[in-house]
Amino acid sequence: MTHLAYEVAALLYLAAWGLGLLARRRGRGARAALGLLALGAGLHALGFVDLHRQTPPIPLESFPTALSLIAWLMVAAYLLSLRIAPIRTVGVWVGAAAGLVTLGADLALRWRAPEVVEATRGGAWSHAHVLLSAAGFSLLALASLAGLAYLAKERQLKHKRGLRLGLPSLEGLDRFEHLALSVGFPLLTLGMVTGFAWGADRGLSPWTGHTLWLLAAWVVYLLPVGLRVVRQQHGHEPAQGVVLGFALLAFSYVGIRLLAGAA
Amino acid sequence: MNLLLVGLNHRSAPVAVREQYAVAPSELSGLDEKLVRSSGIDEAALLSTCNRTEVLAVSRSPETALERLLVFLRHELGDGSAGPSQVYELHDTDAVGHLFRVASSLDSMVLGEAQILGQVKQAYRGALEAGSLGPVLNRLFQSAFRAAKRVRSETGLGASSLSVGRIGVQLACELFESLAGKKVLLLGAGVMAESALRGLQEAGVERIVVVSRTLESAERLAGRFSGRPASLDSLADELSDASVVLSSVQVDRPLLGRAQLDVPMRARQGRPLLIVDLGVPRNVDPRVNELENVYLYDMDDLEGIVARGRAQRGAELQAALGILTQEQDRFEAWRTRLPLVPTIRELVRHANELARVEARRASTRPELAATVSPETLERLAEGIVAKLLHRPLEQLRKEAEWQGGLYYADAVRRLFGLELEDDSE
Repeated sequence: MTHLAYEVAALLYLAAWGLGLLARRRGRGARAALGLLALGAGLHALGFVDLHRQTPPIPLESFPTALSLIAWLMVAAYLLSLRIAPIRTVGVWVGAAAGLVTLGADLALRWRAPEVVEATRGGAWSHAHVLLSAAGFSLLALASLAGLAYLAKERQLKHKRGLRLGLPSLEGLDRFEHLALSVGFPLLTLGMVTGFAWGADRGLSPWTGHTLWLLAAWVVYLLPVGLRVVRQQHGHEPAQGVVLGFALLAFSYVGIRLLAGAA
Repeated sequence: MNLLLVGLNHRSAPVAVREQYAVAPSELSGLDEKLVRSSGIDEAALLSTCNRTEVLAVSRSPETALERLLVFLRHELGDGSAGPSQVYELHDTDAVGHLFRVASSLDSMVLGEAQILGQVKQAYRGALEAGSLGPVLNRLFQSAFRAAKRVRSETGLGASSLSVGRIGVQLACELFESLAGKKVLLLGAGVMAESALRGLQEAGVERIVVVSRTLESAERLAGRFSGRPASLDSLADELSDASVVLSSVQVDRPLLGRAQLDVPMRARQGRPLLIVDLGVPRNVDPRVNELENVYLYDMDDLEGIVARGRAQRGAELQAALGILTQEQDRFEAWRTRLPLVPTIRELVRHANELARVEARRASTRPELAATVSPETLERLAEGIVAKLLHRPLEQLRKEAEWQGGLYYADAVRRLFGLELEDDSE
């Protein structure tokens, strides 16, 4: 059931992406794309419920499950954010990212079931770490999507590539990025702190490849956060910082594991 | 009767030349009157917009008329600065097609814009007031209006037209989520800047600041747009919180450069600034676009956007051209029939006159006078004439559409011994 829910959810996310792209060309269908995203998120949530009902339960801390959680949180956060910063075009790429990540997580779960033992050793710290980090990661992913869209749109406008570029206004993207960064960065910070506490609880060294890259990403994030919070800066520079920060964050989480797997 | 059109527009001449030939709407009628008094010109109408000045005339001696029209355009309307390559001359079918395209906005810089039809109507009214319109131009304008209305209602060109005002709004919407509460800075004023400003006002802009060289002229302009006046000295301060700058000032060198924008842009903390430079020569140094968060669009950029919009609407354009061809064919058919009108009118008059004379003569006969009134006899005679002439006249009109009408008209005149006031018609 979990696999089926993940797979259908991933397909719905990808369908939302395809429909969103078509909607940009035809000028209609954007609402239907959002509907598919919401439907996918609902099914995805059912997958998590089923995951916890399994005996023995698959731990949330496992890499594929956490990835799936990040994808789900990303879609959920995006859908919720529409009330505050309604920029529908970004949803197209949220669908693509969430679909691919969910599909990847499902394949990883099918390939090798995670060890149950991990879940029993972390307790509250591990749950707090996974939930906070995943929430922070998903919001920062949204921020980086908005930042990328901002930089792409800025480039198009500077080069006078005409109107109807298919992206929201620069101001809208900037506001969305600001919102996602403002919530995502504190959540990531809390996720890191609880992660270190969890590691200390287990008597593990805090200095691993993952934590060092994570710290590097966190330091880079200080630039856009500082620019936005301290200097009230908007536009190009914070967008660059957010994109760079997320590249490091994604590497610290996914890239380093892929490298370790390859080695 | 020959149709002639001479003029210059945004494709043939730059704005610096065009503005020397611009005519205020209030002067149209007087100039039409003056033109139609010239020898060789039977009908005339003058059209002047920000993008074109054109003179349309009907003449029986086209060489003389063309010479007069060119002198009138070059030296009486303008200052003679337009070179020969910047002035176009169109004859008959080409002139008709041109007016149809102009009225339907297919010849406009901004395809599908609505203002041009109003301006062509203004030209028509001016000529009507001056009494410089005859049957040909009157019919031509009516046909052009019908064609323009059909293009607007039967194609999507009008619905999605890209006026300068609309382009300004669309550009602003690419930068800002909402235009409510945004500040627009107007530097100088021109038709296009005003159009863009109106578009922005309709989209929700409320804060308008008009900057001019002197505070007096700024106050005068600000009054027209419910804005606030400011002098050129305070430009840097005004730029620090403006969202859109519309510039249309007559200057020899750029008014705004990187140096003037560096400090205000730092104060803006990364908020985007849209500058629409409608001035020719340009009011803003193009290198300003290299500054972060500054988006500069000049006339060439706007024209590029318009051209892309035009290319995207190829199907609609084809449909509009199809409508113009139909309407032009209708007008040309009417125009070809036009020389027959005096012949037909004279034939009908001649036949009715004969019928009436015969009816009156018959009514004096005693056997008829007692039973039938003279009026009844006249109506009977006219009815017979109408029935008799119906088919020949219909055939005459039909032949006229294929250029054979003139031979038939000549034959009719000879057969019935008709004398026309002017045989050349």
